[in-house]
Amino acid sequence: MGNASEIFKFTRLSIIWLCLIFIPVWLVAYAVGIFIPYFLIKDQQNIFFDVFQALVPIIAVLVFIPINAMFMVLFERRGLALFTVRSGPNRVGVDGLLQTAADAVKLLFKEDITPRGADIAMFTLAPITFFAPSVFAAIPLLAAVTNDHPLFHIVNLPTGIFYVLAASSVPVVGIVMGGWASNNKYSLVGGLRSAAQAISYEIPLVLSLVSMCMMAKSLDVVQIANQQAGGILDWNIFGGGALRGIDKFIALNLVGNTIDAKTILDAAYPSGILSYIAAGVLIVCSVIMFLLYLTGACAEINRIPFDLPEAESELVSGYNTEYSGIKFAIFFLAEFTNLFIVSSIAVVMFMGGGGNPIPAWLLDPWWPSFASSVGPMFDLVTAKGLMLVDEHTFFPALWVIAKTYAFVFFAVLIRGTLPRFRIDQLMDFGWKRLIPLSLIVFLVMAFARVLVNVHLVMPAGGAP
Amino acid sequence: MENLANLAEINAASIETWMFYVLAALAIPFAYGVILDKAIIRSGFLLIGVFGAISGLFLILQAQFIAMAQIMIYAVGITLVVVIALMLTNPRMDLDLKPAAGNSKLTGFVVSFVLFAVIYLAIRSDAWPIKGELPAASNVAVIGQAITGQYSLPFEFASVLLLAALMGAIMLAKNEPVEPEILEYSEASGAASDAEAEALTTAR
Amino acid sequence: MPKFSQQVILGMAYAVVAAIVSGMYYSGALGAGLVSAGITLPADVASFSIVALLAAAAIFMNASPLVVLSAGTFFGFFVLSVHQEEPLVRYLCLGAVLFSIGMYGMVASRNAVRVLMSIELMLNAVNINLVAFARYVDPSEVKGQVFAIFILTVAAAEAAVGLAIVLAMYRNTATVDMEQFNLLKW
Repeated sequence: MGNASEIFKFTRLSIIWLCLIFIPVWLVAYAVGIFIPYFLIKDQQNIFFDVFQALVPIIAVLVFIPINAMFMVLFERRGLALFTVRSGPNRVGVDGLLQTAADAVKLLFKEDITPRGADIAMFTLAPITFFAPSVFAAIPLLAAVTNDHPLFHIVNLPTGIFYVLAASSVPVVGIVMGGWASNNKYSLVGGLRSAAQAISYEIPLVLSLVSMCMMAKSLDVVQIANQQAGGILDWNIFGGGALRGIDKFIALNLVGNTIDAKTILDAAYPSGILSYIAAGVLIVCSVIMFLLYLTGACAEINRIPFDLPEAESELVSGYNTEYSGIKFAIFFLAEFTNLFIVSSIAVVMFMGGGGNPIPAWLLDPWWPSFASSVGPMFDLVTAKGLMLVDEHTFFPALWVIAKTYAFVFFAVLIRGTLPRFRIDQLMDFGWKRLIPLSLIVFLVMAFARVLVNVHLVMPAGGAP
Repeated sequence: MENLANLAEINAASIETWMFYVLAALAIPFAYGVILDKAIIRSGFLLIGVFGAISGLFLILQAQFIAMAQIMIYAVGITLVVVIALMLTNPRMDLDLKPAAGNSKLTGFVVSFVLFAVIYLAIRSDAWPIKGELPAASNVAVIGQAITGQYSLPFEFASVLLLAALMGAIMLAKNEPVEPEILEYSEASGAASDAEAEALTTAR
Repeated sequence: MPKFSQQVILGMAYAVVAAIVSGMYYSGALGAGLVSAGITLPADVASFSIVALLAAAAIFMNASPLVVLSAGTFFGFFVLSVHQEEPLVRYLCLGAVLFSIGMYGMVASRNAVRVLMSIELMLNAVNINLVAFARYVDPSEVKGQVFAIFILTVAAAEAAVGLAIVLAMYRNTATVDMEQFNLLKW
């Protein structure tokens, strides 16, 4: 471990950040959602009372995204430095915390060049088309992240995951638009590659998420996240809740309860040995679907090993060759935001959302009392019974951010490890391997799901 | 927090009306841009504007599922395919084309105006059987049951159609020289399959 | 500050005038004026013809046809639909307008891909009608939305096959001009 001290600094930086990220978002949400309506307007019949409260989700997202993207850039650079045994940026601020802010200031003051022969309207519109959908995609996830807090309840859409998918499929249009409007051959090729890649890899991506919706019988992200509460065995990545019966069985033997074991196992696995086989099949299929999601997501957001649209060595960074100044900054910001959103979709759909990874029966003796005593410490000012940070909101949000950064770390690890695909390999891999595989796995899951009672909900009467 | 619910009810009808006209004011110029813009690739991108505005209309009409499908399939999928096809054919050609014969434009204008007049008079001619009830907030389940129950046969036909269209599009767009393959085939497989090779050549 | 050509400025002037006319119609001032002038024409027909005549005049004065047609169509559509009692009629009118625009594009364009784009436009106009019917006529079973889904699939298939045909034609004839596609002519 030659660079143990670097690893320590990297971990310290991440933990500091995880603590810091909540403060601005909390302040803004408190100001707009509680302070202005309850202390300045006061009159609950006033239309602005509702307007300000309805604005909370979008303002929280608009504050969160730039600050978060700034840290993600630093996270990626420090992470890559870690894998290549370097130091990375560490001069500006504490451990280089302000490095990206300095870079952003530099980018904003650069001259904004429009190349000769470019279509000016399209050239300006392209970064906006690339960035705006990711803001829209983040909004319904906010309801899942904050565990359906009343202030964020307005963005809890019944078709949540479909909305997120639709919004996150739009950015590729911005890439094609920018590639064409730049009046540059490299940019055009980058844009076309991006379009082909996004269309082909969208199919396995959507199928993997649809299979999880099939398990959950819902398109609502909050519902899907809440179904996975109760420990790592209930997460969708392990069979979409097929292990819930086993989980309850273990809990029963450890904690002790009035219902006997056979009732629980029969309720979860109604067809005997066939059901156990089906549960095993579901677990294998879910893991495959999760890997398919990761591959499709990497291709969708143009990360290495699928970063052909901006391959520096072939296309001199592709669609954003001609961009400079603030437009380039927006492209850069949107790229990292997309990475964050894709990771948080993975967390909400596969990794239990805001749930705790430790099984509930281990935590039950002490966690609820601990949470309810720690939670209010973060809520310095309560207003009219509205607690912006309580144990039902704060800990899920913390878990989601931590898990999402684990995915981001994984993406950085892949970037530091794998070489780039060739375009024909990419297309072959997509159309001849991933799409048939995802279709077959989806079919198998649909059949296996009938035999298992996934996400088992026990009748009232005291199962754990 | 009941106040948040009240927000939707404040003068909902008039907000809906004005949203409708704003979206229409977006959709109509974009649609004209699609059919009149000189740079044809730009008109391909303007198509996204039309589809986006129409998906906004679907949201007003309480059809969230269709609105999202519209964004995913039309505004991204189909438009990208159209733009790629425009780039593969010669996009500068539209600028070089001789202006279309005058009577083609005149015919188009007369046809479309008469069409609009007929449809408008038909719309106005009779009262519609409006039902006052509001649709459910989420009708995805209703649509799913309709597709897999009452309309399962058309649904199967649609999937067969999509498969056929996929294969047909690949076959049509494939650009491979056929001649050398057939020669190799007949050489390799010997005299027995000469008839087959001949049949293939004739079929071409 | 982008520079606008004289044509575009003229078109925008037309748009402002048309907006004033339709605003007068919306507030009822135009109808009152017609009555006091002793003209028996219905107010919507009168304002629609004013907008249309002004559009013809603007085109004659060499204004930008894109701006004039967009503004004229929107404000004509506005005066024809804004005072209708049923909201359904508004949606059907918008569907008719977009369908007619698509029809014009299909008849008048020479580029084959643009013809396909016009067809997509017409299919979308039909979708507006179906979803509006589902909302106002059949809100419980939303059959219109089911039909709209089938139209989406058919449109996707049609776009793929149509564009593949255009590509094949382009490969053989090196043109996408509709008037050159006359292989089957005799």
